[in-house]
Amino acid sequence: METKNKKSFGTQKLDDERRVRVLSPGMLVFKRFVRNKLAITGLAILIVMFAFAFLGGLVSPYTQSQVFKHDEEIMKEYATCMLSTDFRYTVREGAEFPDAARATAVLAISKGDASFTYGDKTYSLVKEGDEFYTFGDALMIAKTRTLAGKFSVDALPETGFVASPEFVAAAEAAVASRSAQFEADGTFYTLINEGKSSSIYHVEPIALASKLVVDPYNESQTSLTTSFAFRYAAELASVRGEKEFELDGTRYVVTGEENDMVVSTMDGEPICSISDILVSPNANDIFLTAEFKAVIRETIRAKETKFVYVDETGENVDYRIDRVNTTYTVRTLKESRVITMFDFPSPQHLLGTDSNGMDVLTRLMYGGRISLMVGFVVVFLETLIGIVLGGISGYFGGWVDTAIMRFVDLFNCIPFYPIVMIIGTVMDKMEIDPIKRIFILMAVLGILGWTSIARVVRGQILSLREQDFMVATEATGIRVSRRIFKHLVPNVMPLLIVQATMSLGGIIITEATLSFLGLGVKYPLASWGSIINAATNVHVMTNYWFIWIPAGLLIVLTVLGFNFVGDGLRDAFDPKMKR
Amino acid sequence: MNDDFVLEVKDLKKYYPIKAGMFGRVVGQVRAVDGISFRIRRGTTMGLVGESGCGKTTVGKTVLRLNDKTAGEVLFKGKELFDLNRTELRRIRPQLQIIFQDPYSSLSPRMPVGEIIGEAVREHKLVPDAEFDDYITKIMRACGLQPYHKDRYPHEFSGGQRQRICIARALALNPDFIVCDEPVSALDVSIQAQIINLLEDLQSEFGLTYLFISHDLSVVEHISDTVGVMYLGDMVEYGNKKDIFAKPMHPYTQALFSAIPMPDPTIKMNRIILEGSIPSPANPPSGCKFHTRCRECMEICKTVQPQKYEAGNDHYVVCHLYGK
Repeated sequence: METKNKKSFGTQKLDDERRVRVLSPGMLVFKRFVRNKLAITGLAILIVMFAFAFLGGLVSPYTQSQVFKHDEEIMKEYATCMLSTDFRYTVREGAEFPDAARATAVLAISKGDASFTYGDKTYSLVKEGDEFYTFGDALMIAKTRTLAGKFSVDALPETGFVASPEFVAAAEAAVASRSAQFEADGTFYTLINEGKSSSIYHVEPIALASKLVVDPYNESQTSLTTSFAFRYAAELASVRGEKEFELDGTRYVVTGEENDMVVSTMDGEPICSISDILVSPNANDIFLTAEFKAVIRETIRAKETKFVYVDETGENVDYRIDRVNTTYTVRTLKESRVITMFDFPSPQHLLGTDSNGMDVLTRLMYGGRISLMVGFVVVFLETLIGIVLGGISGYFGGWVDTAIMRFVDLFNCIPFYPIVMIIGTVMDKMEIDPIKRIFILMAVLGILGWTSIARVVRGQILSLREQDFMVATEATGIRVSRRIFKHLVPNVMPLLIVQATMSLGGIIITEATLSFLGLGVKYPLASWGSIINAATNVHVMTNYWFIWIPAGLLIVLTVLGFNFVGDGLRDAFDPKMKR
Repeated sequence: MNDDFVLEVKDLKKYYPIKAGMFGRVVGQVRAVDGISFRIRRGTTMGLVGESGCGKTTVGKTVLRLNDKTAGEVLFKGKELFDLNRTELRRIRPQLQIIFQDPYSSLSPRMPVGEIIGEAVREHKLVPDAEFDDYITKIMRACGLQPYHKDRYPHEFSGGQRQRICIARALALNPDFIVCDEPVSALDVSIQAQIINLLEDLQSEFGLTYLFISHDLSVVEHISDTVGVMYLGDMVEYGNKKDIFAKPMHPYTQALFSAIPMPDPTIKMNRIILEGSIPSPANPPSGCKFHTRCRECMEICKTVQPQKYEAGNDHYVVCHLYGK
């Protein structure tokens, strides 16, 4: 063009006007746009936003709904220890010592009585040692008879008692001296005279009360260590300071100091520990070994608060002991998988994690995709419906115009937020898939939002239609399609582009508002609005700024960007603007 | 039918319905053009004068079939324009052109000038593609535009230049007949002269026929061969320029012509002042429509519509003063 012009008008002088470079209309718009600093700023913001949202998702190593967990050492209560201050009762197998009798027994102990009565039974109370009592029940073991000067003893076979000659001699002496007690084989017997015959009773302990705690070393020995005979023998030995005792033909060795003793077999195999500190696990499935308990006791006695114990796998485990009155709580650091909630910004999570343990930055990226996509699709939909209906209305006029404009009025009467809220609630109720939900949301926003664009288009076309240049196209016989696409559309387009760009920002705000209210985009999908929703919780708002401030900032920047670009486009499209 | 006449208009009527109420019932009609007749000889200019709102522009648009007519005939080269179907109309369009009053709104703001001028040329394939550029250049030069203006947009031009573009657009189609709808009224006097001279030059060069609509009588006097005077949709007087300007017969014409300013301060202006304003064309006065403002009003004027009075030499007047 340029060269041809020069050729055909080569003779003409280069005046001032010719030196002005002629640009194509597109270039002119571009040039004017580029010269607008604000518009370029807006464009830069938008480019960054798009890169952030659409490329960010690809770059980010995480997905939007990836929940982060970490191993955390948390203090877990492991065991509780108490100084044993209450009596513990062990009852002989087969004997009866009802729970209610125990209260009476404690009363008798504090009074220092030798016997007490519960119900119709009288129990003897023997103090065997410091805080070690046995409760006895008199058992008739034999009867004596003196027939014609001849003394005889009949042992009651059900008790299994066998009268030894010494016993008989002692009994005879007692009967003769009319004493109520006699001793034989080192055991005291009670004799009740009933005339020619008398009954011999032996007080057998049926229960014992002690404040000591017996802990077996091995679970398999629990039956042994809880048996009355063992307890009796062991505690008796400990009270008496004996180093050995025998039970059922087995000899046991007692080692250690008072209140902290270990009973073991002659082979040195430990059976149980006897102590005044009760250690019980806090969970039913934990069996605390006697060794472990011994360590705890040691620590408590040493008045220390920490100890290390080597567990079965050979690892050192740290324990901590906290004391409350007479109760000691043993705690340990337990490793467990925990959701990384509200993690502060770190190199792994540049903007931390949210309440679901998801990476905030990644969710912002994916949320940006949805927010921007919703914006574009809705604006496209709005504009499409707006152009078609507004265009028809404006170009054809008459009753078509009236009908469409009344339809627009009708649409404008629909209260936007209530309708969207109702639709949101309905979708909640129907449990619609989050992705489908977004499409429905976009459709609803588009359908509710086209009216303003239709009005703009109609108004513009209506005014253009009456302009002389449109009459001129008719006068010059230009065909209808060209009239519409070459004359009407280019004149409507700038306004439309500006309108669309401006409303993009508006749509993003609307979507954010709806998501904020929980009506829009739903978990696990993210959108900027639903991310800001976290700020509805005062705790989150005040403590975890990194969750909602960035999302808010992104919305502000994006909307600002769209508005700047929209303004810039409007100015650029206006040919009346100075170059 | 005489081929000398490019355009013949017979008893042309154009009424605009007045709609009212919810259902758009027609309650009346605006008689914008109420039965006018004239014809224009090839290569001549007919001036159409009258005050604002008398229907001049409606006549101009209707004879180009840019409006529908209500009644009457519009014969272009002897053919009824309103009988043509869409294709025939489109084919004949280039021969009938119009230049608008407002040079600002008559050019599409988003189209470069070259495109504006050449669009219809290309549309109707008036010149081969190879010659297109040269043809546009030729037209632009003929209209006093520089060829490098082609790629510029209308807003970069002054009013006068824009009017030239409008003229170039009309001229590019090689028309026979151009309606000039007050083409100079929006321009200042020096530019007016340029445009008028341009139109005259083009007329002699291309043998154009003009219907020159104006309310500026001195312009009409300058350019026209015949003159029609319109009042409220009627043509009240028609004749050769010389006859009319020398001896205006209708009282309205007399009043109109008395308003022409004389460029000589020694001459005492003898203006006829018309009382009142132009009546509504929706409800025109009975009898002679001008009787409400006519200083020679007679009783008959109020009730009986006057008939044409032929004063000879194609000069007629519609008034009761004559013919009896």
